[in-house]
Amino acid sequence: MYKTRHAVFFLIVPVLLFMVFILLPAISAFFLSFTSYNIFDPIEWVWFDNYKEALQDSDFWNALGNTVLFWVLATPTLVIMPIFVAVLANQKVRGIRVFRLIFYFPVLVSVVVTAILWRWMFNLDGILNYFLSVFNLPAVEWLTSPEMVIPSMALVTIWSGFGYYTLFYLAGLQTVPKDLYEAAELDGAGFFKKHLYITIPMLRPVIFFVSVISTMGAFKEFTLMLTMTNGGPLDASTTVVLLVFKEAFQGLNMGYASAVSFLLFLFILVLTLINEKFIDRNPSGD
Amino acid sequence: MTRKSNVQNIMGFALLMFIMFLTGCSSGGSGTSDGAAGEPTEDAAQGETQEERTIEFMTISLSPTFDEYINGVIDAFEAENEGVTVEWKDAPYDQIEQLVMTSASSGDLPDVINLNTLFLKKLAGLGALVNMDEAAADVKDDYFEGIWQSGDIGDGNFAIPWYVSTSGLLYNEKLLQEAGFDTPPSTFEEAWEYSEVIYEKTGAYGMVIAPNLHTQMPLHGIPIVSEDGTEATINTPEAVELWTTLKEKYDQGLVHKGILLDQAKVPELYAQEKVAFWTTGPQLFRQVNDLAPEVYENSNSAPALVGEAEVQNASIMNLAVPKQSEHVDLAVDFAAFITNSEHQLAFSEEANILPSVKEAAEAEHFTQGEDSDDPAVKGNFFAAQQLELAQDFTIPHENAGEIAEVVNKTFQGVLINDGDPKQALADLETQINSLLQE
Repeated sequence: MYKTRHAVFFLIVPVLLFMVFILLPAISAFFLSFTSYNIFDPIEWVWFDNYKEALQDSDFWNALGNTVLFWVLATPTLVIMPIFVAVLANQKVRGIRVFRLIFYFPVLVSVVVTAILWRWMFNLDGILNYFLSVFNLPAVEWLTSPEMVIPSMALVTIWSGFGYYTLFYLAGLQTVPKDLYEAAELDGAGFFKKHLYITIPMLRPVIFFVSVISTMGAFKEFTLMLTMTNGGPLDASTTVVLLVFKEAFQGLNMGYASAVSFLLFLFILVLTLINEKFIDRNPSGD
Repeated sequence: MTRKSNVQNIMGFALLMFIMFLTGCSSGGSGTSDGAAGEPTEDAAQGETQEERTIEFMTISLSPTFDEYINGVIDAFEAENEGVTVEWKDAPYDQIEQLVMTSASSGDLPDVINLNTLFLKKLAGLGALVNMDEAAADVKDDYFEGIWQSGDIGDGNFAIPWYVSTSGLLYNEKLLQEAGFDTPPSTFEEAWEYSEVIYEKTGAYGMVIAPNLHTQMPLHGIPIVSEDGTEATINTPEAVELWTTLKEKYDQGLVHKGILLDQAKVPELYAQEKVAFWTTGPQLFRQVNDLAPEVYENSNSAPALVGEAEVQNASIMNLAVPKQSEHVDLAVDFAAFITNSEHQLAFSEEANILPSVKEAAEAEHFTQGEDSDDPAVKGNFFAAQQLELAQDFTIPHENAGEIAEVVNKTFQGVLINDGDPKQALADLETQINSLLQE
């Protein structure tokens, strides 16, 4: 009883904040997705028209395609690569703290600053193309080519998010019992086998968590696109959330923007459920 | 206030918060949700007598640089109108639209709002603004006709134009001389001829194609939509010829792709001597001085390039009064007061911008500077001389932003994807007509 009372006490503020700033707006947005709301005119119910319009809108499908491509390029790398880095960062070697700091440092840089820095580097005559020219390689149109723009954005996202996800895996590694490794060593397992058969299975809940939040992060990403290319060239980097932003704040089509938001929500929900099915959250199989 | 309007406002405000949360943006300020959208709030008027009235004035990025000037004008207005208080708020340029929307959703819009032309058209199209052709009919003739028209949409005009920027040409004398030119180009045709030689001899770009082609086409005498804003007029042989010529220049490598796609900044490239001339508002010339004083030292200015139509594009800041204002007449009076000749002239002297009223433009301040050694001062002289030719090329329709975007993207597509200008313009005509009918 004592513990329950304290739990309620500590939870009341975040729950209230959650309800006021997330739940209530989300419910309102859900209802408004069935209207033609534009702030200035009275609300008019259009029922499923916004959803129908979105599903027939080539801009929506283009944005969804861009978002999925961005997710496919960024998320697997952000889920898998930090595991290796975390394993390395978990070793007791000299200077490991500096190593950890270097990997975490990009996380501390704001997204807008990151976007501006990388935009400079991605310039046609920027530093990246300069390095390529040193090796007699042709310049790459990082942000001005419709084919390259999303891979370039994914590269920036990986750079900036790598340290963040490594931190989760590092925390996860602390929970793996040391005796499992000792037993494996006695059985003759080497470095890779130990991690393949012990670390990866034991980190499954963390892998699931990282894949879910990095998926959501990839589907929500829009600051980079807005700052670096404003969705261009030729809409090749317009993601769904950037489309929502433009429809809502430039077009004042709040009802339509809400409908697109909910379609995105459904898409992420389905992906999360699939993710959950494939990554067993209980490594022991109980 | 009805329960329906309360529910509507709470839902509207909540939606804005949700989308802002989703997109990671700050609302940047909001009001309460007491007022119905599109209806006046009662709070502002409560406790006020006819003599004690308060109006709220919102500007874009003028504070703190122009605090003294704005507060001076406000004091003068309050002194002339006993019992009136003007509350001034300033919003950053990139937040004004969000602030206006959050204020509108809570029925708490400022009484006088400084708006750019695109957003003005959007709000006017939604019926949110006062028709200035009627409300400010007594002062309408004081303003340049082409500039007053920036508030046009449908049969009305929904803004009083405030300060204006027209263009001058900043050019790098050293690069031009290296290419063998002693004088700057004066027409678009000449500018392309210069560009070929400059690119060949110095490696620098001459003409740049800005991403906002929709404001460039009228310079060549090609309107995008009809004057009444009811149909597309872009699919003409002249337009096909222009796009074909520009595509040829692009194929020749004379167009900077980063600038075309709005991913490279002209002042930065000009400061690096990668661009030889730049047509823009003279108030921006000093950006080059900030970035590279030695390049600015080698620069000079000239009148902006002239196209077949012999008109010039003007960027205009407008003052609009929402219909939901409690004090429409007073708000219109204040907008006319701050944009009158005396106050615009004083503002122009402080801010290196141009006035929208004819009388102010005749002042000595704008008739001097032709012989100045400072390109910005000289450019300002040339820009002021073009006020009579100045027009706002924003399409007179609430979907002006969407139409501009589709024009620019279609054109970029023709260049980047090696499209056929004729077919692209035919498709574009269909798209624009569809947007005009929405």
